[in-house]
Amino acid sequence: MSAPAGKGPVHAALAGDPVLAEHYAAFRARAEGALNPRLVALIRDAIAAVHGIEAAAIDDAALDNRTRACVAYARRIPFEHTAITDPEAAEVVAHLGEPGFVALSVVAALADAECRAGLVDLPGLVGV
Amino acid sequence: MSTTPRVSSAIPGEPAHFGSVLAHQPAIAASFFALYGRFWGSDVLAARIKEVARMRNARVTECGFCRNVRFDKAVAQGLGEAVVDDITDGYETSARLTDAEKAVLKFTDALIHDPELLNRDARAALQRHLTPAQIAELGLGVTLFLALAKALITMGLEPDAMERTVLPTPAVLEAAE
Repeated sequence: MSAPAGKGPVHAALAGDPVLAEHYAAFRARAEGALNPRLVALIRDAIAAVHGIEAAAIDDAALDNRTRACVAYARRIPFEHTAITDPEAAEVVAHLGEPGFVALSVVAALADAECRAGLVDLPGLVGV
Repeated sequence: MSTTPRVSSAIPGEPAHFGSVLAHQPAIAASFFALYGRFWGSDVLAARIKEVARMRNARVTECGFCRNVRFDKAVAQGLGEAVVDDITDGYETSARLTDAEKAVLKFTDALIHDPELLNRDARAALQRHLTPAQIAELGLGVTLFLALAKALITMGLEPDAMERTVLPTPAVLEAAE
């Protein structure tokens, strides 16, 4: 399972600036808190898997249509964000509503960026 | 890439843009703007260097909005258009970018595009030019630039056309403190 809110490579790298670290953790927690925790975990695992990072396997066949559409949308974020079509986005909006779509877009994009920060070993660069 | 908003504005009378769309989630918006203001308000890493990384991200992620916005603090620190023009492929040979900025650009490319670019020499260069605290702040910045550019694009908030626009640098609002 991916790191819980408040953790992860960016938060770890900010250990020397507790105020900024706290602001970052709060932003991530607010974004993830707007969605179902199980969906957040699936999104983070799906994106980690796209990056080749070890993550819990997802059985797409076991997902309901709503969740499957959200996971499919998230999987496009790392390398195909400009290719997401209007119908793909509309399907997510239909399932989550506009506020949910906004939250999902932020959570998925942040998860992608965090995976990338881990892949360059941001904490190691900082020495924490 | 769609330039038709995929989500409506949550602020009556305003068109769909990043702020008005994020207003669908007020708690996310408040925490983001508090974070972004704190990040830009910090002088641990100069605004000019942050803006160099943001410009590179804008070009690689194809975020037209990000690409056309300039923050005034970086402009005041000498980030003119001639320098910005050099933040493109081949920046390594630029005579306008400093060695520190080239090291920052290599890190930015590695984070947003290909981690293999951050080889031993590139890591050493980054750590030679920046302190650990500056690298941490840079890492946060590139993370946010990348995530927000992608969120903006996937929500269909790319402008059809946009003039270059200098905006006040994000700042911490006292009411948010």
